[in-house]
Amino acid sequence: MHIAHDAKPVLEIDRVDKTFHVAGRPVPALRDVSLDLRPGEFVAIVGASGCGKSTLLRLILGLDTDYQGEVRVDGRRVERPGLDRAIVFQEPRLLPWLSAEGNVAMALRRSGLPKAERRQLVAEHLDLVGLTAFAAAWPAQLSGGMAQRVALARALVNRPRFLLMDEPLGALDALTRLRLQGELSRIVRHGGITALLVTHDVDEAVFLADRIVVMQPHPGRVADVLTIDLGPHRNRSAPAFLRIRDEVLAMLGVTPSDDQPEEPSRGAIRLVN
Amino acid sequence: MEPSRLIRRVASLGVGAVVPGALLAVWVLSAREGWLTEQILPDPREVLQTTRDYVASGELLADTAISLRRVAEGFAAGAAIGLAIGAAQGLSQSARAILELPFFVISQVPILGWLPLLILLVGIDEGLKVIVIAWSAFVPVALNTAQGMRDVPRTLREVGQVLTFDPWSMLTRIILPAALPSIFTGLREGLAHSWQTLVAVELFASSEGLGYLMSWGRQLFQLDIVVMALVVVGAIGLVLNWTLGRVERRLRRWQVQTA
Amino acid sequence: MISRLSLPPWRPLLIPLVVLALWELAARAGWCDARFLPPPEAVLRRVWFETIRGGLATDLAASLQRGASGLLIGASAGVALGLLLGLSRVAERLVGPLFLAYRQVALFAWVPLLSMWFGGAEAGKIAFISLAAMAPAVVNTWRGARDIPRSHVELAAVLTFGRLDFIRFVALPGALPFILVGLRSALIYAWLATIGAELFLNIAPGLGGRLNEGRETFQMDLVLACIVVLGALGIAFSRFAAIGEARLLRRRG
Repeated sequence: MHIAHDAKPVLEIDRVDKTFHVAGRPVPALRDVSLDLRPGEFVAIVGASGCGKSTLLRLILGLDTDYQGEVRVDGRRVERPGLDRAIVFQEPRLLPWLSAEGNVAMALRRSGLPKAERRQLVAEHLDLVGLTAFAAAWPAQLSGGMAQRVALARALVNRPRFLLMDEPLGALDALTRLRLQGELSRIVRHGGITALLVTHDVDEAVFLADRIVVMQPHPGRVADVLTIDLGPHRNRSAPAFLRIRDEVLAMLGVTPSDDQPEEPSRGAIRLVN
Repeated sequence: MEPSRLIRRVASLGVGAVVPGALLAVWVLSAREGWLTEQILPDPREVLQTTRDYVASGELLADTAISLRRVAEGFAAGAAIGLAIGAAQGLSQSARAILELPFFVISQVPILGWLPLLILLVGIDEGLKVIVIAWSAFVPVALNTAQGMRDVPRTLREVGQVLTFDPWSMLTRIILPAALPSIFTGLREGLAHSWQTLVAVELFASSEGLGYLMSWGRQLFQLDIVVMALVVVGAIGLVLNWTLGRVERRLRRWQVQTA
Repeated sequence: MISRLSLPPWRPLLIPLVVLALWELAARAGWCDARFLPPPEAVLRRVWFETIRGGLATDLAASLQRGASGLLIGASAGVALGLLLGLSRVAERLVGPLFLAYRQVALFAWVPLLSMWFGGAEAGKIAFISLAAMAPAVVNTWRGARDIPRSHVELAAVLTFGRLDFIRFVALPGALPFILVGLRSALIYAWLATIGAELFLNIAPGLGGRLNEGRETFQMDLVLACIVVLGALGIAFSRFAAIGEARLLRRRG
């Protein structure tokens, strides 16, 4: 892993505050969130629903500019979406009237590159996600996992500064999820891609990330940051892995076993006095 | 097509033809036996003969061509305006708010209800027919276009935003393709309405065309002419619906699930 | 993002107000012949006059009665046929193609034939209106009956439902939304056929006949008055149908 610890951060989130207004009442979504992403890093944000992780991604993307604080990419303020930031959503969001190839090529529309080079890039990236054989397939013909791989190729084809992922594997079945985690790890590490993953799956975060940011909800804020030093090839069953996983879970308020502390439940009949 | 599928196709066609075939047989029989007078149901052989005569003299073709031309002109005009207004309503909240009420109120009066007013204003010439036909195409085209464009899922729009599409790219690469199935439904309905309106208008306010032919036959108490024209009207209706139906089905293959 | 509340609420009224203003101005300023475009008040006054003394109520009643009879006959026949086609494979194969072929013929093309068969009798007009109402009723009911989920059909089999019970408790409720859509269409088409037939066959009493009278005697205010009445009726029908539909489907959620 080449994380240059002294290099300037690619992404800086600087004391961001965001409040929604729902039915006239203010709902704080993010409170004083700060985070840096260094080149080559894989950072995962974990937290329960409502902690604002998806909102944060939208701010980074530039889809939403109504907030306090600053978001900077390579030192420059983010004002609108740009091809330097790519995202894989939870749903593949492929355009149903284009083939897999067409969908990936769509991302290059604004790149200004010549046709031949575009075709080359598309082919390369489809190969990267292992879908060369399905280049001409329609999205309706692809399984969920395959569609997400096309979405990944589409996100990477512009060689973005960094890759955002908003619970990309959340809609897939458990087996496909595990398989794709492996692929994701391979692709990201091999390409030296800087990545920011949002997930509620702690195992996924520990499996993929160099750093884990734990967020708490109401309002969304950074509770803790963990550095993972498990090396590039991780074993989900290794004791070290499990220890870190349990640590993160504990931060989220979840214990691994179902040993509940002894307290009488309300309304229970006391048989023994 | 493999033999088993071919056989099944022919068989279903055959079954479908049983009832019409029986009715046809009854018709031929009743004409021969004189069960019904000529005023109720003309002899099918006469209808065939009349058809042959009219085809030979070129009259049938001429009238058909006139009818088709009117529909083409009216539909083209109505559809074009419908697409424009529908797009405006679909893309712009302001346009929608402004146009919605007038549109609704006007479309509550059946098109034929506007006819007397239009006749007074425009007279009974080609212009009238084109206007009426255009109007009947306009309503479904505008409605479906607006609906289709409004229903483009936010998720796809965001893809366009993330890929930094300018408004033109957004429109041509995302909104239009996503709305296309709905737009096409509108066009198909518009054409069907146009054809219906054409027939009605030609029946009562025209001196040429298939509708006029029918009305003329009626006035002369010659039902064979009426039946002949009826069959042609039905046949054209069939072709129009079937062709557009095929195209629409192909488009529906990629329809976006708005869920 | 602009909140919904700040959008100008007057926008729906913009075009109607502008049109009314221009109309009023044109009539007042004499931009066009008063016979060609009477001012709005003249039209309203005509509506009033016709209602009180002109026998508009009689015409309205006649049209509505005709339309209602045709709608009743056509819609019930249509729903029945639609159920038959949707529930019975055999019926669908035998009668389906014939119905689809019938549908290809434009509605008004039947007028000459019907007028020859019925002469000028009221029955002929009602027959025509019934035809108009029948087609959409059949199409939508057919679709609704055909698309009853397999799971429901199997449930009925497991509960050993007979034919009638199946229709009453599974088929009809299941197809109800479609049937209602069909009935709404049937209403629109029946009304269209009523006015169209009255207009073209110059039937009186009836709103269509009134419209013709206005046209033939060049009384624009009468013509416009009838259009206003037609428009109001159309809107009333739409609301009525929508409310009815909402009521019937309310418990479904």
